Amino acid sequence: MDMINMNIVESAMIAIAREMGINVQKTAYSTIFSEGEDFTCALANRNGELIAVADFCPSQIGGVPLLVRSMIKEIPLSEMSEGDVIIHNDPYRGGLHTPEHTVFKPIFVENKIVAFAVCVGHFVEVGGMVPGGFPGEATEIFHEGLRVPPIKIIREGKDVPEVWKMMLANVRTPRGNYGDMRALISAVDLGEKRLKSLIEKYGVQIFESTVQDLMDYSEKRMCAELETFKDGKYTFVDKVEDDGIEDKEYEIHITVYVQGGEVVVDYTGSSEQAKGPINATLGVAWSAAFNAILHMTDETIPLNSGCFRPIRVIAPAGTVMNVDYPGSEVGGNTETHPLIVSAIFGAMVDCVPNRVMASEGTTHGCFVFGGHDELNDEPYGGFDFSYVGYGGRSFADGNDATDSINGNCANTPMEVFETRFPWIVEEYALRPNSGGTGQFRGGLSNVKQMMCTGEMLVSQMTNKHKLCAWGLKNGGGGALGATLYKKAGNDKWETAVEAYGKVSPSKYSNIPMNPGDRVRVLAPGGGGFGAPADRSQEAVKEDVREGYISEDQARKIYGFPG
Amino acid sequence: MKFSNNGYYIEKYIKCSNCGMLLYSEGIQSKSSPKQIFCSQWCVDWSSAKAQGIEQPKLPFGHEKIHEIG
Repeated sequence: MDMINMNIVESAMIAIAREMGINVQKTAYSTIFSEGEDFTCALANRNGELIAVADFCPSQIGGVPLLVRSMIKEIPLSEMSEGDVIIHNDPYRGGLHTPEHTVFKPIFVENKIVAFAVCVGHFVEVGGMVPGGFPGEATEIFHEGLRVPPIKIIREGKDVPEVWKMMLANVRTPRGNYGDMRALISAVDLGEKRLKSLIEKYGVQIFESTVQDLMDYSEKRMCAELETFKDGKYTFVDKVEDDGIEDKEYEIHITVYVQGGEVVVDYTGSSEQAKGPINATLGVAWSAAFNAILHMTDETIPLNSGCFRPIRVIAPAGTVMNVDYPGSEVGGNTETHPLIVSAIFGAMVDCVPNRVMASEGTTHGCFVFGGHDELNDEPYGGFDFSYVGYGGRSFADGNDATDSINGNCANTPMEVFETRFPWIVEEYALRPNSGGTGQFRGGLSNVKQMMCTGEMLVSQMTNKHKLCAWGLKNGGGGALGATLYKKAGNDKWETAVEAYGKVSPSKYSNIPMNPGDRVRVLAPGGGGFGAPADRSQEAVKEDVREGYISEDQARKIYGFPG
Repeated sequence: MKFSNNGYYIEKYIKCSNCGMLLYSEGIQSKSSPKQIFCSQWCVDWSSAKAQGIEQPKLPFGHEKIHEIG
C-alpha cells in the first residue's frame, strides 16, 4: 500500500467529483440544482464500487453502489461503448425515489472500462399527478412520475433522440428538464475527462491497485472505529405520523447489532408498506444506515465502498423500509430517510452518547408548486425547502434552521425565489421556542410566509405536524411543524385538513392557489438533550437576549429569574 | 428479478428473504422453506439463526463484497 500515491489519487478524485458538482450548479436551469445543490457527483470502479464522492447531498451516497449495480446487471459492460451515457431513476432498481435521476458514463482507457463517472440529481418535475414531483396522496408508483430503467440516453457520443423525446413528453416543464439533464450529462463528461487524465498519468494498473488499496484502507479504518463501540444489541422505535391516505401511524423498528468491528442494521418489525408515499426504497434503507454510521464515526475516513463493507442492512421487503412494486415511495427519501437516521441515533445513545443527537425535524418541507408562467409563457415547477432544528447533543445545542440530515441542501435566496416563481416572501425567520428544551436545547426551525401572485397548484410532503422530534436523556421535544393557508380576503389561517378537506395536514396533493392567497410554512424544531434543569443560566440568558426563547419559557422551564 | 423473454419488462421483482436485496441472479434457495430465497450464504445463516431464536447471531461478514455488488 503506497500511502503517498493513495492520498494523492484520493484527493484528485474528490476534486474531480467536486468540480463535476460545480459544473451542475453553474449550468442547471432549476434552482434545486443551482441554489439548493440537491445532487451528488461520484466516481465508481468497473465493479460498481464507489471510489470517491463529493459532499453535496448525502442521501444519495449510499445508493450509488446499488444504482451502478442495477445498471451493470441490465446493461453488461460488453454492451457499453466509449461516449455512452446511461440514465436511470427506477426506485425499484436501487434508486432512492422517482425524482432522483442518475446518469453514468463509462470511462474507457486502453479500450477497457476502468471506471464510471456518476451524477445523481433531484429533478423538480417528473410528471405524475402533481407539478413538482411530490404527490402526497399517491398510492402507486405510476402517480409519482415517469420511471426510467437503465437505458442509454447518449450512444457513442450522440443523443438518442427517441429517449429524449419520450422523457421530455412526460413532464410539465420540458425546457427546464432538458437543461437540467444537460447539466448532469456535462458533469459526467467532465468527470470522464478529468479521471481519464489522472489514470493516464499513473497507468491503469497502478490506478486500479491504488483504488483497491484505498477501499481496503477505508474498510480497516471503519472496522477500527466500530471496534471502539461496545458490542451489543441496540434498539429504538420511531413513527411516521401518517401517509397522506390514512390517518394512522407507521412504525420503523431499528435494531443495531454491534459485533467486533462489524455492524448489522436490522429494520425487522417495521410496519407493512403504507398505501401512501412514505415508503422507503431499498436504496433509502441502505443510504440511511450508512448515513447514520458515517455520522457516528471518524469523518476523516475516506468515503468509498470500503467503509460500507463492515455494515450490513436488513430491510425486509414489503415494509415501509423496503417498498415492493408498485407501492408509492416519493416521501420515503425525504421523510422516512431522515427519520431512520435519527432513530439509529436514538438506538445508539447508550453505546456512543457523545456521537449522536436527539431527533432533528426529519423533513425537508417539500413544498412544491407549478403552473403557467404568464410572463415567459411557459410552464414552471418549483420546490421550496424548509429548514428544521437539529437535535441537541451531549456537548452542544442543536444547529438552527438546517436542511434535514440526508439533504444538506442550501437555501435559495429570496431574491432568486421571487424572481423565478410567482411568490412574494413576507416573512422568513427563525421560530423562537421551537427547539426542544434541555441541558443542550434543540435547534430552532424556520418559518416562511408567502403570498401567491399567480394561479398554481401546490402539494406537500412533510412530517412532524402531529409527532414532535423527540429529546434524549430527559430533553424535551421540538415544536411541531405546521402548514397553514389563508385565502385572499379571509383572515383565518387553516391547515390543509381544515381548508381543503385533506386527510393529512402534512401530505397532500394539488391544492389550488390564486393571487392573494397565502401560505405559512412552519418547520419542526429539534429535540433537546439532557434535563433542562442542567442548562447553564448563562446559556439561558444568551437565548433570551438573542430571542431564541421567550422570557416566559426561560422562567417556567429553566427557572431563569429574568 | 424475472425479466420477460425479450428483456423489455420485469415480470417479477425478486428480493432476498432476509435482507431485501434485489436478486438479479438465481440466489440461494432455502432448504427448509421453498418460498424463501437468499442473496448470500450470510443471509441464509442469519435467517436460520434468527429462526432458531438466537437473539444476537454473531456472524462475521468475511471479506466477500457486500452481497453481490460486483
